[in-house]
Amino acid sequence: MLDTLVSQAANGLVLGFIYVLIAVGLSITFGLLGVINFAHGAFFALGAYVAWQLFQLFGWSAVILAPPVVGLVGMAVEVTIIRRLYGKEPLLSLIVTFALALLIEAVIRYAWGADGKPFNPPPAFAGIVEVGPLLITKYRVAVLGATTATLLGLWGFLAFTPYGRILRAGSRDPEMVELLGINLPRVLTAVFGLGCMLAAIAGVLAAPLWTVSPSMAANAVMPAFVIVAIGGLGSFRGAVVAGLAVGIVTSLTIQFWPEAAAASMYALMFAIMLLRPRGLFGERWERFE
Amino acid sequence: MLKRDLNRRSFMRASAGAAAASVLGVGGPARAQSDEPVRIGMIYAKQGPGASIGEYLQRGSALAVEQAGGKVLGRPIELVWLDEPNPQVSQQNMQRLVDESKVVAVVGGNYSSSALAMMSVANREKVPLILTGAAASEITGKSCSKYTFRTQATVPVQMAGLMPYVSSIGKKVYFITASYAFGQDILRASRAMLKQVDATEVGVDEVPINTADYSSYILKIRQAKPDVIVGGLVGGDFSNFLKQWNEMGMKDKIPYAAVAVTDTDFWDVGPQASTGIYIKPWYYNNPKNTAAEQKLIEDFKRKYNQPPSDKTWSGWIGMRALLESIEAAKSTEAAQLVAHLEQWKNTEGEFPFFFRDWDHQLVRPAVIVQIKKQITDKFDYFDVLKNTSATAEETAKAFGTKEDIGCSMPSL
Repeated sequence: MLDTLVSQAANGLVLGFIYVLIAVGLSITFGLLGVINFAHGAFFALGAYVAWQLFQLFGWSAVILAPPVVGLVGMAVEVTIIRRLYGKEPLLSLIVTFALALLIEAVIRYAWGADGKPFNPPPAFAGIVEVGPLLITKYRVAVLGATTATLLGLWGFLAFTPYGRILRAGSRDPEMVELLGINLPRVLTAVFGLGCMLAAIAGVLAAPLWTVSPSMAANAVMPAFVIVAIGGLGSFRGAVVAGLAVGIVTSLTIQFWPEAAAASMYALMFAIMLLRPRGLFGERWERFE
Repeated sequence: MLKRDLNRRSFMRASAGAAAASVLGVGGPARAQSDEPVRIGMIYAKQGPGASIGEYLQRGSALAVEQAGGKVLGRPIELVWLDEPNPQVSQQNMQRLVDESKVVAVVGGNYSSSALAMMSVANREKVPLILTGAAASEITGKSCSKYTFRTQATVPVQMAGLMPYVSSIGKKVYFITASYAFGQDILRASRAMLKQVDATEVGVDEVPINTADYSSYILKIRQAKPDVIVGGLVGGDFSNFLKQWNEMGMKDKIPYAAVAVTDTDFWDVGPQASTGIYIKPWYYNNPKNTAAEQKLIEDFKRKYNQPPSDKTWSGWIGMRALLESIEAAKSTEAAQLVAHLEQWKNTEGEFPFFFRDWDHQLVRPAVIVQIKKQITDKFDYFDVLKNTSATAEETAKAFGTKEDIGCSMPSL
């Protein structure tokens, strides 16, 4: 039994880390732009499709270019559409980004067809790793490594670079940042692109595990929103902790009470919201009060 | 001169008459009858996880119309295609087709839950509905309806074809099914047959729809050490499972068997992850396909540059049955259509298939297929093992008696 529990927890961590990448992008976009981006999942799917296309054209090494490409698409979307939503009713941003999600899904379907695309883990990561009681596939170990590196890199960027400081300051007091002579619109464009890039990294990593289809984001977006709510809106640390908690709780529920697997993350969110309505690491943000 | 006057006079009279007739509508119906389109509704998924399946179904139905020259009763056919995203919206779309598009009948409904919702509208509005998917038993069982017909074999019929194969692989069975009507139907039907085929259940997981990660389920299956898995996952969920089953090194370790799968489930994951034995309504590379089915394959290949999936066949046969019944009835009136759909019979194969008049289920064998050992073609994944039944008598028996089915259909 111990071996199954350890393996379940490890697989839950992988799932949780993919959710964390999506949730962190969502959280950063909301924190700085004040926009709840319903189209975030569409960028996740776009990441998987661009990776598949690059793989078809140039092989595995080109797949690494997929997230920056999607980041650039995100920046273009910010300049043309998202920018118009700043300071407007939250409902408007919900409706517009929901429409944007449908649009991106339709564009994917138009460009690549409604059928899914076969995409398997690279040969170097095929097979299983068995260490004591732990059983996990090599590809999932690689996903753990890639997500950990991405999250550490992002944390370093936000915590220790001048750009990170601008982002953090801009999320709390955008007017003051602008008064200091910083070109805030350009910063906002970059932040939206960064959020889309994180979603795309999750899409690229999920592509060999999930079916690459235009609606593949449907399975990922809701857990990401739940993670943001549990961790606290705009909190990087909260998204990481909540993502891992959701992954592990889901895996262990499947082991012991499979009928409740889909509901387990909502039950977790319900419990956290009752105890701490702002989420685990949520803080009071003056501009959203 | 006189002749010219007469001509002018008769021309004037004719023109005035024509003008009056057009204002009063005299002589209009005959022309309107021949020009006015016959509107037929289609409800197939356009977005979400079912969009690919919806596209193949729609292409099949549209091809049936094209093969009929785009006309029925000498009138042009107008197809109106609405979405099947979930039961609620499918039901609303069914109502819209009736209220706004004034359709004479609807072809569609791939998911049992949507089909059951659409059936209530068909019944209330008295509009024939031909379901091209939706395998749950109750559709032609206890919830059967005079206005609903179904082309797909029920779950118990498909399981009856599959379980002897399952038993020949091994006696310890693990079930992994979707947690809604279709999956529960699979569990019920299989458990009822376990004793008969001398097998035992070693585990069961009912999986919520839209599950992305199956690794936890696969670990449980591994722990239970079954001889064979009986599956009842659908669409994107099934593709995700297959991909991760292969990724976790289980593909060649424990055989997988399932019903109601479609070609796109496998085309989506590719040869590397495809494995198993399945029951399907139809397969394009089956030597037993009829001449009309060969024509469907050729027309489809010409148009889309690839072979049709079994969903294309389902959309095609559903629409064909409707068009042929309209022609036979010489009417689009609902009661006439229902009566002629009940008499509709396809005699192109080894033995006829038809909608049974007391439950409106299409009585026709399905095919048992197995993933090829070596897949070399982008679309040809299966070897056809055999049909679920070989004769008309065997087929009728497999679909059950009135007592087994439990349909009590009120008259029109």
